[in-house]
Amino acid sequence: MSDASITDIAQAEQGTSLWHDAWLRLRRNRLALFGLGILVLFITIALLTPWIAPYGYAEQNLDLGASGPSAAHWLGTDIFGRDLLTQIMYGGRISLAVGFIATAVALLIGVTWGAVAGYVGGRVDAVMMRLVDILYALPFMIFIVLLMVVFGRNLLLLFLAIGAVEWLTMARIMRSQVQTLRQQEFVEAAVSLGLSPSTIIRRHVIPNALGPIIVYTTLTIPSVMLLEAFLSFLGLGIQPPQTSWGLLISYGAETMEEYPWLLLFPGLALTLTLFSLNFLGDGLRDALDVRGSRD
Amino acid sequence: MSLRRTALKLLPTLCLCVTLVACGSGESRVVQGNRNGILHYGNGTEPQGLDPHIVTGLPESHIVRALFEGLAVKNPFTLEPEPGVAQSWDISEDGRTVTFHLNPQARWSNGDTMTAHDYVWSWQRALNPAMGNQYAYMLYPIENAEAFATGKLQDFAEVGVKALDKHTLQVQLVTATPYFIQLMDHYSTFAVHRPTIEKFGQATDRFTPWTRVENIVGNGAFTLKEWKLNRRIRVEKSGTYWDRDRVKLNGVVFYPTENISSEERMFRVGQLHYTQTIPLDKIPVYRAMENSPYVNAPYLGTYYYLLNINEAPLQDVRVRRALSLAIDRERLNNTVLHAANVPAYGITPPGTLGYQPPKLFGHDVAAARQLLAEAGFPDGEGWPGLELTYNTSESHRKIAVALQQMWKDALNIEVTLSNQEWKVYLDSVDQMNFQMARRGWIGDYVDPNNFLDLFLCDGGNNNTGFCDPQYDDMITRQAPRAKSREERYAIFYAAETLLMEQMPFIPIYTYTSNHLIHPSVRDMPSNLMDSLNLKYVWLDQNWEGAQ
Repeated sequence: MSDASITDIAQAEQGTSLWHDAWLRLRRNRLALFGLGILVLFITIALLTPWIAPYGYAEQNLDLGASGPSAAHWLGTDIFGRDLLTQIMYGGRISLAVGFIATAVALLIGVTWGAVAGYVGGRVDAVMMRLVDILYALPFMIFIVLLMVVFGRNLLLLFLAIGAVEWLTMARIMRSQVQTLRQQEFVEAAVSLGLSPSTIIRRHVIPNALGPIIVYTTLTIPSVMLLEAFLSFLGLGIQPPQTSWGLLISYGAETMEEYPWLLLFPGLALTLTLFSLNFLGDGLRDALDVRGSRD
Repeated sequence: MSLRRTALKLLPTLCLCVTLVACGSGESRVVQGNRNGILHYGNGTEPQGLDPHIVTGLPESHIVRALFEGLAVKNPFTLEPEPGVAQSWDISEDGRTVTFHLNPQARWSNGDTMTAHDYVWSWQRALNPAMGNQYAYMLYPIENAEAFATGKLQDFAEVGVKALDKHTLQVQLVTATPYFIQLMDHYSTFAVHRPTIEKFGQATDRFTPWTRVENIVGNGAFTLKEWKLNRRIRVEKSGTYWDRDRVKLNGVVFYPTENISSEERMFRVGQLHYTQTIPLDKIPVYRAMENSPYVNAPYLGTYYYLLNINEAPLQDVRVRRALSLAIDRERLNNTVLHAANVPAYGITPPGTLGYQPPKLFGHDVAAARQLLAEAGFPDGEGWPGLELTYNTSESHRKIAVALQQMWKDALNIEVTLSNQEWKVYLDSVDQMNFQMARRGWIGDYVDPNNFLDLFLCDGGNNNTGFCDPQYDDMITRQAPRAKSREERYAIFYAAETLLMEQMPFIPIYTYTSNHLIHPSVRDMPSNLMDSLNLKYVWLDQNWEGAQ
């Protein structure tokens, strides 16, 4: 056998990677692409807001007051005469940041915790999962409130606090996935090849458990955004003049009869984000699910 | 998993639908209430308690005044005192001795007769320093009461309150006090039932279970029947009240309506007869209505921001004045407040029984900037930051957000906002754990003294750290000795001038009362005190025909 033929075989065996394969499948899913597009658009806007926002976010015009959409204010103004488009853009920064960062925290802790518990099993599993049960039993709202009261109001802490309570379900899902996967032949094969447990978890277990995790993640992001609005309303989250979509919606809901646009536009922004996340999540699940693939 | 979560999320919506359908088909609470004589009353916030010698808030006072009655009560139409537990009273020639003749028919709700001894014991409790009664000073016109309340005097026998016999109470005053009879309608001067309180602890124990539904004994026109935390407080007409034939309502249900938008919605769907207030944004809508349930009347109250003058940067009077001068009160009132109130430049509401407070300043950005620069913060440079604390409410937030920006625009300084739940907020204010805090003061009796004595050195509601012996002397020594009303008001004017030069608080506006009142509600007139006398109120079942 020549050297060249060995390389050829290696190339043929390598084929396409999991991610490349998934991307090819995702590209065929139009809704998922639409979702991805919207999300990328919103994130870009959020990042560029300080440069592209039409007005300052705290800039008031009391004499103007609440006015409907107009040429000067595309989405209208609130009762302080603040431009609603600007408010939504700045609110999006906070909401998206809370949504993604808190969820990322939850994802990191939950997936690691669940994977280790599920893979190692036995007594370690029992102890780790009982800890999760105990944390589940704590009223998590009180837990967050306590954190915020003790450590003071701080945006970064808010992200961490929310993430720290949202990981529990994630850990459970991950653990059950890992327990089934552990019995699979390819994992046994990896074990007999002498791979270390951490490599097996990273290379073989987690990619195969991604489907349910991604779906759950797309559900976590919106619930985290709403949680932030709730905390802010209680005075524990962000404070005026800073704002978020959740807060804009809660203020808008108070005056939805007099000034419907104050509810409509922030609501639209949030809804669009949530739909996009769901479409993308569904698409990703289909794309990453190796077992259910059509080819 | 995701399916179950979705189902769980839908559940509340489903419940809401069911409730809405149920409401739609049945008759509303208001219609039912009109038939059964039950008034549904939006009461603002969940009360902190019901002990007349502890509570301080307006929501509490409405319920306490339904369950208890003072020696004299206010006529809701004229605000003149009329008989309560006392059927009559004599005032001596020099004005220093008041003798109350108790109504022999006055009973506690458990059937016990009310006696003058009840008052002696209750006032000892109200004045006891261990009680921590913030309104103890309501009784300070009584001889030696202040010394007893501040711990300088141990023996209550020396305080000028005596039970001459079972039904005669004699009170010796420090000096002639024109408003003393008015004070008898304030809940801190109410009598409480000694055996009930002693059953649950010491006389001065705070928040013992004596005010629970199953324990409480009162002497008012109504008795407590139900208290569901954060849901409702239900009172029923009392069978032992001396004037029960005049009481027309069979009961009142008080609802905590912290969220004023929901309160307004509750009113609109017929769940409330009366709302504590109205969302500012709804005022134009209701104003435009025919036969509008919106009632707006001048009110004896001032909305202001307390300044903690012990803390930097507020210990500098120039900073305090700069903050005050930078506010455009007229504009705030005409825009955010929908012209529902009156801009304030002092603590006393204009026209309090003929008294006009001084107006020493106005909106003056240039002067404000100048003062701030002199204090060491030219154009906001080096500003250490300032936090404004307010209790969670949409209208407080709106004012705070508007002022935050006015200060930013005028002085280029940052003010951060911090909203707190009512009880937490009350604690912060009591313990002066704030830099700047929202405060409203509602008159307890119609006299400038009621506003000016807030800022005495030891005033229970001072909460600013302001203390000026000269000011104290004017209010507590000179004013009561004045020969005429003109002279007395001149002293008040000078004192208020001194107060506003020091600016330990920032006046924002004078209140007006804003309510939505269902057209079936009768004999609940608006008055300067917004004083509620439930004894008079009745519900007209045929209100539609009457219109």
